[in-house]
Amino acid sequence: MEQVDVLSLRAAFIQQGIMLCFNGPFSAMLIEEIGQALRKHMQGLQESQSAVTDVFSVYIELTQNIRHYTALRGLEGADAHATLIVSRSEDGRYVVSAGNVVLPADGDALVERIAALARLDKAGLKAEYKNQLRQPRDPSAKTGAGLGLIDLARRAYEPLQGSLTALDGGLAFFSLRVVI
Amino acid sequence: MQDLIVEGTGSIPAIRADWEAGCVVMKGDSYPENAFELYQPVIDWIEAFLAREDRPLRLQLQLLYLNTSSIRAMMDMLDQLQGAFDGGRTVGVEWRYERENERVAELAEEFREDYTFPFDILAHD
Repeated sequence: MEQVDVLSLRAAFIQQGIMLCFNGPFSAMLIEEIGQALRKHMQGLQESQSAVTDVFSVYIELTQNIRHYTALRGLEGADAHATLIVSRSEDGRYVVSAGNVVLPADGDALVERIAALARLDKAGLKAEYKNQLRQPRDPSAKTGAGLGLIDLARRAYEPLQGSLTALDGGLAFFSLRVVI
Repeated sequence: MQDLIVEGTGSIPAIRADWEAGCVVMKGDSYPENAFELYQPVIDWIEAFLAREDRPLRLQLQLLYLNTSSIRAMMDMLDQLQGAFDGGRTVGVEWRYERENERVAELAEEFREDYTFPFDILAHD
């Protein structure tokens, strides 16, 4: 394994405006702890309650989606890891990006779904959200019935950007960028 | 039926369902990974109250952030209230929030537009 180069990592963080970065196995408790830290940090920056809530909720939905997905697909070890990055763009917007290993077919479906959501305006997203909310719930399902992605799209300042990259060994890496 | 009490944590709201008072109080953030595990007992409690009593039932909420699975569970509870209201029962929701926390008001408002029973959204400083 290559030696960790702290200085070059630091330079990359600064250059890309990265405030918070995590890569590895995520537990429910870790999600909560990091989320609280993120909230406190933003409150310290005198951000509005709405901005804090939006960034926090995007962070929670993204990380919980990954946890649900890896459990659903039985992914283990490094394949169950998540990468989560909170950064600020040059114009001061918060950007939450997350990525995880997926089955290629699931990744394709996600990218397609994100493209479909990107075509909707605010009213269209709200209608889609209410429609999804009313879909019958699978009693064994733990998730918010696909609501998460629509909720992310509604909180985002610009359309969600999803991308899929094939990995060696038949899996793929899905990443999602949410600008708030 | 017994009162239902759930101690709040960072990701779980404090919940108190008081049979005598006919009142369910929920306060705090709600973003557990499995919201239905948390809310099923509340849903069951509401169902029992509506079935065994003919007194009014009130929901007093001071909820802040809800993840989408909590939103889904909340909808199930509000649907219960709507069903009772349609059957002639007295039910109501009172959702209090801090004025500067606009996202809470928007969330409560989006719920309210789907129901016809009394649903108050009250700002405080």
